[in-house]
Amino acid sequence: MVLWIVLAILTAGVAAILILPFARSARAVPAEHAGEIAVYRDQLKELERDQGLGLIDAQQADYARAEIGRRLLAAADADAEGETSKPSRYGFTTVFVTLLLPATGLCLYLMLGSPNLPAQPLEARLANPGNNIALLVAKAERHLAQNPSDGAGWDLLAPIYYRSMRLGDAELAYRNAIRLMGASPARLAGLGETLVAASDGVVTEDARVSFEEALRLQPDTPNARFYIALALEQSGKRDEARTAFEALAKDSPADAPWMELVSEHIARNGGTVPPPTSSAPAGPTQEEMRAAQQMSESDRRDMIRGMVESLAAKMQEDPNNLEGWLQLTRSYAVLGDREKAEAALKSGLKQFPGSGELVALAQQMGIAVEGVSQ
Amino acid sequence: MIIEIGHYALVLSLAVALIVGVVPVIGARRRDTAMMALAPLGSLVLFGLVGISFAVLTWAYAVSDFSVKNVWENSHSLMPLIYKYSGVWGNHEGSMLLWLLILVFFSALIAVFGRNLPDTLKANVLGVQAWISIAFLLFILLTSNPFLRLDPAPAEGQDLNPILQDLGLAIHPPLLYLGYVGFSVSFSFAVAALIGGRIDAAWARWVRPWTLAAWTFLTAGIAMGSYWAYYELGWGGWWFWDPVENASFMPWLAGTALLHSSLVMEKREALKIWTVLLAIMTFSLSLLGTFLVRSGVLTSVHAFATDPGRGIFILCILAVFIGGAFALFAWRAPMLKAGGLFAPISREGALVLNNLILTVATATVLTGTLYPLVLETLTGEKISVGAPFFNMTFGLLMLPLLIAVPFGPLLAWKRGDFLGALQRLYLVAGLALVAGLAFYYAENGGPVMAVAGLALGFWGMFGALADLWYRANFGKAKFSVAWSRLKGLPRSAFGTALAHFGLGITVLGVVAVTTFETETVVELKQGMTAEAGGYSIIFDGMREAVGPNFTEERGHFTISRGGVTVADVWSSKRLYTARRMPTTEAGIVTFGLSQLYVSLGDPMEGGGIVVRVWWKPFILCIWGGALVMMIGGFVSLSDRRLRVGAPTRRVKAVKAALEAAE
Repeated sequence: MVLWIVLAILTAGVAAILILPFARSARAVPAEHAGEIAVYRDQLKELERDQGLGLIDAQQADYARAEIGRRLLAAADADAEGETSKPSRYGFTTVFVTLLLPATGLCLYLMLGSPNLPAQPLEARLANPGNNIALLVAKAERHLAQNPSDGAGWDLLAPIYYRSMRLGDAELAYRNAIRLMGASPARLAGLGETLVAASDGVVTEDARVSFEEALRLQPDTPNARFYIALALEQSGKRDEARTAFEALAKDSPADAPWMELVSEHIARNGGTVPPPTSSAPAGPTQEEMRAAQQMSESDRRDMIRGMVESLAAKMQEDPNNLEGWLQLTRSYAVLGDREKAEAALKSGLKQFPGSGELVALAQQMGIAVEGVSQ
Repeated sequence: MIIEIGHYALVLSLAVALIVGVVPVIGARRRDTAMMALAPLGSLVLFGLVGISFAVLTWAYAVSDFSVKNVWENSHSLMPLIYKYSGVWGNHEGSMLLWLLILVFFSALIAVFGRNLPDTLKANVLGVQAWISIAFLLFILLTSNPFLRLDPAPAEGQDLNPILQDLGLAIHPPLLYLGYVGFSVSFSFAVAALIGGRIDAAWARWVRPWTLAAWTFLTAGIAMGSYWAYYELGWGGWWFWDPVENASFMPWLAGTALLHSSLVMEKREALKIWTVLLAIMTFSLSLLGTFLVRSGVLTSVHAFATDPGRGIFILCILAVFIGGAFALFAWRAPMLKAGGLFAPISREGALVLNNLILTVATATVLTGTLYPLVLETLTGEKISVGAPFFNMTFGLLMLPLLIAVPFGPLLAWKRGDFLGALQRLYLVAGLALVAGLAFYYAENGGPVMAVAGLALGFWGMFGALADLWYRANFGKAKFSVAWSRLKGLPRSAFGTALAHFGLGITVLGVVAVTTFETETVVELKQGMTAEAGGYSIIFDGMREAVGPNFTEERGHFTISRGGVTVADVWSSKRLYTARRMPTTEAGIVTFGLSQLYVSLGDPMEGGGIVVRVWWKPFILCIWGGALVMMIGGFVSLSDRRLRVGAPTRRVKAVKAALEAAE
């Protein structure tokens, strides 16, 4: 409402100024050529000055004087014969001016403007972030930029970064958390997962060391065990991998969310698969739980979902990003939203039909892809 | 709310522009003072409204209001504050708003300082200015609106294009636009004169300060842009004949011609029609430049604002204004009376020669710029017209012009004495040749043609001094007499001499750099040395560093001469984290007027890195000359003659006010 009052005042003020000339009593019309005559008089004076200084000789000065004189006379003559205007009425003009301003202003503004949106300076939003996850993250980032030795902050941000696939930031955050708060199985395993994701699913040497360190601290960390087994599989040691996967399956509760994936890998490495359990959505991993200790479960899920949605929106705008599609698909899979994961995968394949990585991911998720034989 | 007020102010300014574009022009036809009085008033209101709008956008950038789409797209909360401000015009929408702001700023200036103009001329000029404002307001509101909002607002922006995060960008576009848009005033004067059907020597006097101001700013803007490209892009070049550069260079060439022809018109009332045509052409080239850069038909270093969809709109603006102005010209120009006569050898003649060469040069650049575009549109064939074409054609054209420059000011109006001028310039020519030879020997190398080129530079410089020397009559008259004559010379004479002197300096710089420049590309490992320009550059190794919104790898170089360390420099490769975009920050060391330019290439296997080292002798002359030209422009602008011509009624009014105050 305040906005409309301000806009109305602005419009009225402008209109008032613009009709001012029509409200004044008629002024004397100045001689139309007065300015011209002044210029020529000045040229004559300048000529005299130049001649006085000896910058121009007498003969040239005379020529020039005659020429300027002719122009001066012509201008003065023109003034004498020019007619002056009669006083006229400005009813129509005044109405035109007063109506055009609000009409044009309102029509275009209603078409283009967003009158209900307040200004949102970042500082003010950060001071009162509410439930906006992106803002909470931004706020935490600013806090960490000023207090880079706050380990708890890094610890909180790291898994959030990982879920939103900001892998470089996630790695940094994990490393800082480990440096400042000491190693914990969750942090080490999280760092390992980040490194694996950063190298497109390959368990690198760095990642493996990290997982082993996690297992040394707490031998039954399931995701660390999973990746160690995966490392064996990737280095071609199928038997050892199968044994490791089978051991993990044995130690895990039957309804553990990672069982499906583990069974898949056992099968892939030539083992026998126990009957698949119900396709329960993949639950939160351990480090997620830890990261969200301060929040309730639903808050945490909302948070992650929010970040994934923002990634999805970004992909809508700029679909030409293979990495993005891979991340989006994985994120949905992690959230257990199989439908959306498939949709993301298909959009990605539409954009990058020949991408081996996407096809591999599709196979990993057991999604049939048109035109791609499984 | 603030953002929406800014948006509404922009919308409202469209309504005001419509009123100013219609009412005063009708008033001028009817000779109705009240309707004409709306023009200056409306122009000031227009400036106020667009100013509000621009201030609001700037505020949105300063406080990082990411609910504004434009801010989100081009800013980042961690960016240094100066780049938040310069980021306002570091993008398409914002820069168009700046364009508009400067346009209405010039209108407001005419409204304030144009008291000496006849009412009808002023009403028409401001009316035409308002038409241009209408076109660009529509363009901004309908295709490039910087006030569109995002809901919900993102938490962080996408950062400004890293190559634009530089002090050069903060200054370059405003200066360039002051030049580009300044020529709109000359255009409006020309169109207003054609509408009014009357044009005379006084008109030239009135339009000259505006042309001069626009020219001065454009000179500064182009020089600034060239220097920015030189140190920011890391290629070591200072002029690339890039279409975007050409786009700003063409109005400059045409504007230079306009500046000189309006001189003839003011003094002798000759070349009237030609001057009007030039005024139209100059602004048309400015519009064309805006079109080329903004429509996305070009892909180049300035491609930060490409959007083909907008191209059609600008093309329409182009067609309406250029086509309309030329149609008006074709219709009204035959009614204009021809002016004074002059002999071929005279000041006028020299200025006609200047105009002739500059126009042909403009046409050459225009051909070289547009031909590849036209060819690609018609046949799909991609060609690039590069430096060889321009050097052959443009360079060749400049040769006679540069030779003629010192003659112009020495010739008399109407009937000049060529032999007399030649005699006086013998000494200058001799001196220039000697100086060229001396320079050549000092630099020790390079083709013989360089001597001629260097002499040409000195010829321009000494010629400018000779102009003042002979005008003051040094050598003939007593020193004190000559000195007082020198002091008595109008400021514009000094302006002319300074601008011509600056041109000479620039030519000198161009020739020296082109001839004596050395380029070394070497792979360096820590502790290794490269040689350039007599200096040894020792590579001390790389180091990582972190800036506010980038990370960089910087290489340190120690520079020594004859075993003595004289300087050290960092050269770095940056990665701007938000956009994952790399940039090169060249290390530049200045020795006198010359520079050593160190740029990092790719790292090699085995720990080495490719380093490019350029020795750029006297390169600062190129921009220094432009700076001197610019100072010449300002000196000339301060000439009191450009401010007179006010009708007596104003003088009386002032007197009355003074009396009332007492």
